[in-house]
Amino acid sequence: MLDSLLSAVAPPLPDDVRQGLRESVQLNSAGFDPWGLNLDTAERALRAARWLYERYFRVRTFGLERLPAGGRLMIVPNHSGQLPFDGLLIALALVLEARPPRLVRGMVERWFPSLPFISTLFTRCGQTVGDPENCRDLLRREQTILVFPEGVRGTGKTYWRRYELQAFGTGFIRLALQTRTPIVPVAVVGAEETYPSLYNAAWLARLIKVPYVPVTPFFPLLGPLGALPLPVRIDLRFGAPRLFEGDPDAPDVEVQRMVDEVKGEIARLIAEGLAERPGLQALGAVSALGAGP
Amino acid sequence: MNTILVTGAAGPLARLVADELAGDAELVGVDVRPLPPGGSFPGPFYQAYYTQRRVEDVFRRHRPQALVHLGRIRGTELESFQHRFTQNVLGTRHLLEHALRHGARRVVVLSTYHVYGAHQHNHVHIREDEPLRASQIFPELADAVELDHAATTFLWRHRKVETVVLRPCNIVGPNLNNMISRLLRSGGRVPTLLGYDPTMQFVHETDAARAIARTVREDGWGVYNVAGEGVVPWSHAIRLAGAEPLPVPHVVAYPLVGMLARWRLVFPKHLMDYFRYPTVIDDTAFRADYGFAPALSTVETLRTVRGRAPAARA
Repeated sequence: MLDSLLSAVAPPLPDDVRQGLRESVQLNSAGFDPWGLNLDTAERALRAARWLYERYFRVRTFGLERLPAGGRLMIVPNHSGQLPFDGLLIALALVLEARPPRLVRGMVERWFPSLPFISTLFTRCGQTVGDPENCRDLLRREQTILVFPEGVRGTGKTYWRRYELQAFGTGFIRLALQTRTPIVPVAVVGAEETYPSLYNAAWLARLIKVPYVPVTPFFPLLGPLGALPLPVRIDLRFGAPRLFEGDPDAPDVEVQRMVDEVKGEIARLIAEGLAERPGLQALGAVSALGAGP
Repeated sequence: MNTILVTGAAGPLARLVADELAGDAELVGVDVRPLPPGGSFPGPFYQAYYTQRRVEDVFRRHRPQALVHLGRIRGTELESFQHRFTQNVLGTRHLLEHALRHGARRVVVLSTYHVYGAHQHNHVHIREDEPLRASQIFPELADAVELDHAATTFLWRHRKVETVVLRPCNIVGPNLNNMISRLLRSGGRVPTLLGYDPTMQFVHETDAARAIARTVREDGWGVYNVAGEGVVPWSHAIRLAGAEPLPVPHVVAYPLVGMLARWRLVFPKHLMDYFRYPTVIDDTAFRADYGFAPALSTVETLRTVRGRAPAARA
């Protein structure tokens, strides 16, 4: 019954996409890849999420043609929007619009496996715990990984600091140098506005042991309804892939230079996106209150 | 002709290993258990605890060139922890000392992937050089971890003996009595933890026996993970084996299993986490160094766990 419901709202993925996905993974006799991915489950989840991508966030992509046709790849975007919808949308873009399609491996938090149901679903969809060992392993087997060097520093920002890139870790560059993986910088423009956080209730976050608790004009005021993301148009701008050369064990100062290059490229792509799409998409009202600088 | 001493010799896995080795060596069997009714061992068989002095006499009498230590007492056998610790840790140390003193040139010790521990921070492919977390999570697994330590310490300290420590994934098959094989063979409803479905690895008993026999026959030393073809979620494995999963919420399952254990109804509490968090091992080193590849795929392994011929693939 669930299946027929799904077919009604979410049409199957195009055949060339399905074929491309099948070619990009190594499945065993039972239909699972070495990390526990199952394509049937992943396809169903992608179909269900497609509505969010096409109708809710009306995603536009730029520069996907720059992606190499195959081989290992590291996608490095800015991170924003309280809940990681940006990761989901990038994953959908790479499946639905990149040719050949790429199944993206997201890196989830370490506490994630203790969550029932969701952790199982995420594993079946090809996500793994964000651990350098897992990243190396995935890249050596020619997979595409998604890394947010800002981590929760990016997602937990208040609205006043929208589109300000937070500090980047250096681990992703060392990983790229070790595995000779091209890095694709990506700007996500719009996700900042899905949850305009006015205040981070840090004391509550510490109490319930989560990284941050945003207060938005709608949450917690409107309860569960307020927890829905605003239907902002989201643009994904893919930069040119960049293969860094160098010693993976170079001191931090040298690695930092490469980090800054990637960060600079993302900042440039964000500026390009904001210039092309100047108005706030869903938050005219909040802005009119004069709340933001 | 070579003489090989096999421990755990009354068990089904030892029998399969013995059959692999029987052609090119004389076999001597030792076990704390008697031979099962109707069972036999292809060579002299001694029943003794590994800590007993009689065991050393078996070494003196037969002077084995190789020791194959398969006789780890598992938690499922309802032995007290104290007893398990004595036999598995002290017993193993005694056996290794005897092997060294009486001129064995090769030692193969069967450990288990359980030593890595089912931890939520595990990354997907655990290599041999990673920390053994099992006893940090469940002290009941300390004997398995200590056995493994005793073997790896011996490996480094006594380099004139070639020592191989094998850490296999779940070994399953129609002849084995381990918990996971019994669950898969049950044909009925097999418990799973509601909401959790960790990927697991299974190697067929005949493939495991071949892997062990190969390390006995061929030159080499080291610590190796041994796995089957691929990973499969626990619920999927249950269905492939012809049974049905029965999801139980973990808040109920953990206390329930603890209570049942008190009445000696078998399901070791300290193995529950292996049904919650994946503990997937990386077997590339063993495949590369020993040229080992399992003959049966994961699907074939699970479909034949009840001894039936592999069914046609769906």
